[in-house]
Amino acid sequence: MSKWTLNRRTMLRGAIGSGLTAALGLPLLDAMLDTHGTALADGTPLPVRFLAWFFGNGVRLNQWVPSAPLDGNNPDGDQPKFQTGLFEGDAWDLSEELAPLANVKEYLSVLSGFYNKAGAQNRRGHHDGAAGCLSGIPFIAMDPGNANYASKFGGPSLDQVIVDRLQAQGVNTYIPSLHVGVSKRITKGEGPSLWHISHKGPDEPIASVLSPQDVYDQLFGNFVPQDDPSGKLRMAMLDAVASDAKRLKNRVGKADQVRLEAHIDSVAQLRQQIAALPPACTKPEGPTQTNEDVDGKEPLEEVAHVMADLVTLAYRCDLTRVATWQQSGSVGGTVYWMTGATTEEHGLSHEPGGQDLIHAAVVFNMTCFAYLLENLKNTEEGDSTLLDNSAITLVSDAAQGITHSNFDMPFVVAGKGAGKLKSNLHHRSANERSSANNTSDILLSVLQCFDEGATEVGADEGYSNTPLASIKA
Amino acid sequence: MLKRSSSWSGALAVCAGALAAACTGQIGGDEPPGSDPNGPTVQGFEPPAPTMRRLLARQYLNAIGDLLGPEAKAAATAPADNPINGFDMIGAAQLNVGDVAVVDYEKSARAAASAALEGTRFEDYLTCTPAGATDEACLDTFVRNFGRLAFRHTLSDDEAAEIVGVGLQAGAAYDSFDSALVYAIATALQSPSFVYQVEVGEALGKDPTVRKLSANELATRMSFFLTDSTPDAALLDLAESGALDSEDGLRAAAESLVAKPETALAVGAMYDEILGLRALATISKSTELFPEYSPTLAESMRQETQRLLSDVVFTKDADFGDLFTANRTFVDAELAALYGVAAPPPGEWQEVTFPETEPRAGFFGQAAFLSTQAHIELTSPTLRGKFVRERLLCQSINPPPNDVVTEFPDDEGLKTMRERLELHQVNPSCAGCHALTDPIGLAFENFDAIGRFRETENDVTIDASGELDESGAFADGSELAGLIVDHPDFTDCLVRNVYRASLGHIETDGEEVVVEHLVSGFDDDGRRLKAFLVELVVSDAFRFVGADQ
Repeated sequence: MSKWTLNRRTMLRGAIGSGLTAALGLPLLDAMLDTHGTALADGTPLPVRFLAWFFGNGVRLNQWVPSAPLDGNNPDGDQPKFQTGLFEGDAWDLSEELAPLANVKEYLSVLSGFYNKAGAQNRRGHHDGAAGCLSGIPFIAMDPGNANYASKFGGPSLDQVIVDRLQAQGVNTYIPSLHVGVSKRITKGEGPSLWHISHKGPDEPIASVLSPQDVYDQLFGNFVPQDDPSGKLRMAMLDAVASDAKRLKNRVGKADQVRLEAHIDSVAQLRQQIAALPPACTKPEGPTQTNEDVDGKEPLEEVAHVMADLVTLAYRCDLTRVATWQQSGSVGGTVYWMTGATTEEHGLSHEPGGQDLIHAAVVFNMTCFAYLLENLKNTEEGDSTLLDNSAITLVSDAAQGITHSNFDMPFVVAGKGAGKLKSNLHHRSANERSSANNTSDILLSVLQCFDEGATEVGADEGYSNTPLASIKA
Repeated sequence: MLKRSSSWSGALAVCAGALAAACTGQIGGDEPPGSDPNGPTVQGFEPPAPTMRRLLARQYLNAIGDLLGPEAKAAATAPADNPINGFDMIGAAQLNVGDVAVVDYEKSARAAASAALEGTRFEDYLTCTPAGATDEACLDTFVRNFGRLAFRHTLSDDEAAEIVGVGLQAGAAYDSFDSALVYAIATALQSPSFVYQVEVGEALGKDPTVRKLSANELATRMSFFLTDSTPDAALLDLAESGALDSEDGLRAAAESLVAKPETALAVGAMYDEILGLRALATISKSTELFPEYSPTLAESMRQETQRLLSDVVFTKDADFGDLFTANRTFVDAELAALYGVAAPPPGEWQEVTFPETEPRAGFFGQAAFLSTQAHIELTSPTLRGKFVRERLLCQSINPPPNDVVTEFPDDEGLKTMRERLELHQVNPSCAGCHALTDPIGLAFENFDAIGRFRETENDVTIDASGELDESGAFADGSELAGLIVDHPDFTDCLVRNVYRASLGHIETDGEEVVVEHLVSGFDDDGRRLKAFLVELVVSDAFRFVGADQ
């Protein structure tokens, strides 16, 4: 009897008809499990899945931080004061903004009072928060005098570091990483740092895929039946494309040589996908939910749900182990119409009178985050669940949008990292800006779930070689 | 017929003179820049090293359409553009093509190639009759004919052989020469030689820091700049004949491209970006306050600006400033209702004069500007002012400050936007930037968040007056429009925007001399954009690149 049960919630929302349950076959890993369902048959532990869940413009700290405010606390200040310490199990309760996560509280580590130290190097609101919390590396400012301000990441985001580590261990999933997005109101005019949350490096941001159908195509669209000659021919075309790139490399300058090398790498990646065997998962029907506005309103909740289903499917079928989720953009223009807001979020975040609506938007976002986590929790994997075997970070680009503070960044780690992470805790660090409470420490602890030998993360001001002990099992 | 204004030729006369006097036989030696007849004409010009520019989405699609017909264009899909510093082209010159784009290119190439064979354009390259599914000679002929246009140069034997090899495999696998053609085309369309504009240039005399674009590189650069598409066979022939080597030859070629309808479309696409018109596809408005607002009205707003732009630049060949000051516009029935002017029949457009009682002027009076630089319900003088400073005057506005506790006095009871914004002046760290943006934006307070005229806000008469820098006082948005187009930074910024959008980088210190030269020429010439497009093409900045360090 298989331990793999398909929970109703893993069905693709809006899938055509109701035949999906039947269409989904056994996930790839099932065949590889040992008889106890606790590890793979060859003795290797169950794989850990990573996801970075990002939303723009920060939180309202007074309603976000789970511990009691102290005397002198100024909720709009850059260093609000709350009771510090490590609170575990019943010793902590979810805050107002975290309340939607009640069903997965035992899987959460809420980390507050941490300092985005990478952001201290180049202060520019939002740019510093996004780059610091997603990569631990200060961003590169591209300030060209009188042109629009722009910046790019200073190095790879954590998800791509993990992809590299996994590949170094010989883990080559069908696609290296999956990148989904929900809101389309992204700020695109200030360079890659604000637009994208995943970056292979400064010059290679990876776009979030905003259409559920496109995500589905990415997961299932490139499989070629073994007896179809087009697979070999497509690989032959890609070989010619790579040759063309190599010829050009001999003619162009150094910067362009690097770009062509990246192009060649991506060609090799696609070639590998075409060569891959189809997954043991039977191809489900595609989603019918689109990411088109309805009467000028974004279908944020519906898209978040179908994206959660797709991410869960990708993990179950082991098509990838690394994902990012861009709920809304940095300096994003999302209109959280379901809260009653009629102004785009970033503008609203700088209006003192708009803070109740900002709070409501954070709560809404946490309901979407909760949906994903519950989905993973409800998907069994051997004797555990996908959420047990995940290490998920929740980050934003500012502590609270109104001040752009880079202290006290909202940070949650969800999942038990296949036994490598502690959870059900709130760690409120001391109220100081120091290397002792660097957000990169959190990133390093998460990275170690994927590579126990990892000793460092980030760079420059954001560098850390001290993992956060409180969340390590 | 060459049309050269006195002002442009005045600026260039020095160079032309130098050319005439010094062009024969004086190669080498220690002569200053400008004395090499093939070299730059402006002294002190130091071009930056070139970088490959990925074709913009629209250029990629247009090129496929021009190469293979409308069927192929309709089947193709382009990877998204990634702007940097506000320009797609700058992103196209800097960022890598990654996994997602490569997947897109592959998928699109296959779809476009298959669709191409449903049309007839591909037959232009099939100048032989295939003897069978794997007729290598005929496939080679096709690949060389098509490849020259797709890659914008004559294929080397290696380049041709590789594509032919793939095609022959497909021909054999499917026992069909058509399949060979499809796979050969699909290979070319996803190759870097098609996907990027690659510029290396050719060495010039003894100066290793400046290189001259090859004739094919120059033809490619001007074609994508002026028509958003690949050079056609005639232009490549012209380039390879050496006709673009002389300034007159280059000017003539540029002028004939500018006369094509594609140039108006290319300029329109450039100003979709510069003027922020693309946002009209995504912005929302309150359905309660603005029941008339809809996606179709938003698209009409975009077209309205495009029509005025096209009229000023191409029909009237007038001062570009007119786009911002004209007391006329173009409306369809929906826009006519918004402005309260006589409506044309449904589906038609007509030119109208703005109502005399309203201070509307050009783009600043158009619904596109007034809607995009506003919120869902409310206007945003801050956004409107920021747009003018950043996009039209090329001035930087800092973002809201970091770590500042924003505590404003209660704004309850304040009836006008002007009163509410004055609260920002209370906090000194906010005041600096709001003093730059808000007075400009408040001039347009007579127009609500979708551009409808209003005289009052909450029953208080709107005061749209203010001052612009050293330019002086204005009474309303219409007067401010006049001050903006006369602002010393306005012409300069116009030139820089076109420069950045076409060349894909922010001008370097070494290019400033050429930029200044272009600015003064443009200004003296009455700011006629059509002529400027040609002047940019014949300028040093367009013809020369630096060497990689």
